[in-house]
Amino acid sequence: MRDVAIIGCGMTKFGRREEDLLELLMEASLAAMKDAGLDHRSVDAVYVANMGAGILNYQTGVASALVDRLNLLPAPADTVENGPASGASAIKNAFLAIASGLYDSVLVVGGEKMRAVTGWEATDFVASMTHRQGEYIYGVTLPSLAGMFARLHMAKYGVKQEHLAMVAVKNHENGAKNPYAHIQQAVTMEGILLRPEAVVNNPPIAEPLRMYDCCPVSDGAAAVVLCAAEKAKDAPHPAVHIAGFGQATDIHAVYQRDDPLDLKAVRGAAKAAFEMARLCPQDIQVAELHDAFTILEIVESEQAGFFPVGQGHRALEEGATRLDGKLPINPSGGLKARGHPVGATGVAQVTELVWQLRGQAGERQVSQAVNGFCCNFGGFGNNVLAFVLSRE
Amino acid sequence: MEVPKGYQCKACGRVFHPKRRFCLGCGGDQFKELALEKEGTLLTFTKLHALTMDFTTRTLMLGIVEYPRGVRALGQLSTDKVEMGMKMRHRWEKVREINGQEIYGLKFYPASK
Repeated sequence: MRDVAIIGCGMTKFGRREEDLLELLMEASLAAMKDAGLDHRSVDAVYVANMGAGILNYQTGVASALVDRLNLLPAPADTVENGPASGASAIKNAFLAIASGLYDSVLVVGGEKMRAVTGWEATDFVASMTHRQGEYIYGVTLPSLAGMFARLHMAKYGVKQEHLAMVAVKNHENGAKNPYAHIQQAVTMEGILLRPEAVVNNPPIAEPLRMYDCCPVSDGAAAVVLCAAEKAKDAPHPAVHIAGFGQATDIHAVYQRDDPLDLKAVRGAAKAAFEMARLCPQDIQVAELHDAFTILEIVESEQAGFFPVGQGHRALEEGATRLDGKLPINPSGGLKARGHPVGATGVAQVTELVWQLRGQAGERQVSQAVNGFCCNFGGFGNNVLAFVLSRE
Repeated sequence: MEVPKGYQCKACGRVFHPKRRFCLGCGGDQFKELALEKEGTLLTFTKLHALTMDFTTRTLMLGIVEYPRGVRALGQLSTDKVEMGMKMRHRWEKVREINGQEIYGLKFYPASK
């Protein structure tokens, strides 16, 4: 297997965007190709991550449309759909294609245009990945699964509403330093939890989860250019290597799992990624976790191996996961503040790690970052991917 | 009224709801149909305030119930006056309309009532 490096990355600002999906994908792709110093003649293949343009935008065949717009013809192009983990799945496909020796340089771009539909429709669209007979027909949404999960976790480990709010406060503080974030505004514990008006500012969504425990619905795209490491020498920026990759799946209906609190796929994906990288969680200086809900950041930080199970909220309390802490988590603002255009998220996580490892993250730069980790969580943990990235 | 069913793996005895082609425990593909037990324990729940289409109420109670044989099921709850560990009884009722089609499923009521 050949070593694979990331030589370029770029993204659009996330949020409510006027442009259509293809325009967003083009903007991110061109930014990543420019960053990599590549022109259209040197892209061997394209993978596009998108969860639901067929439903949201009445646009299918997204990859075919994009290569035409980008003048990348006749490069092979595929659309990759793996729910909210589509982004990481597309990067995995590019990684395997380069590692195998088939291609030398591949463009991966993930994007979603979710604000084209109403909030109701967007929620229902995301809920369509739940178990049809066992979950969906009852009105299950992703926030409702997260709410039931949070209630169990909180009861078992003594996690309080304040801990969930701490994730939101931290990630909004980071997001305020990220010019690409959907929400670039800090929030306070008083404003979202402690003062009486917090009930209005931060209403319940899926109890015990409130609005600030859930990511926003966003438009946006992110792109990376992957290249065989041996050919990455001429790139304008120092290459960041994909040192490890892992993926695992789990039982579709959450209630059918032996222990509904046990996110086995997160553990499995992280373990495989660390093994391939020959690194352990203690070697990581920066992590991007899939905080579609605040509770998930806490639990993923445990299942990935950064903190013991049931102790993630303690690390959070101690400030270990802040920008200046021992292991900064979600310096980008995470899904919580950067936003969550579902197909884009996995690519945006990797983009943030590349910026962090190159030292280009501006005000939100983590100091001395050599190795980064990210986790892209599909379904309610039924298809999870993890990457370990390393600076040269 | 239709009776909600569990499906017991003939090889290892594990019960599932709804029906599966293969047993999650042992991979067996032969199942025996049995009625879900009348009463189960509420494992967790949520009051959902952000509903999808087709719902006319402002909130929706959802929960996971564990039956004595170990099988679990997710369903709607009849009330928000619930707590974890409460005994619940199911009824098979209309739970939703999807594109005008009536969908039937599990609705859980507190066992005391």
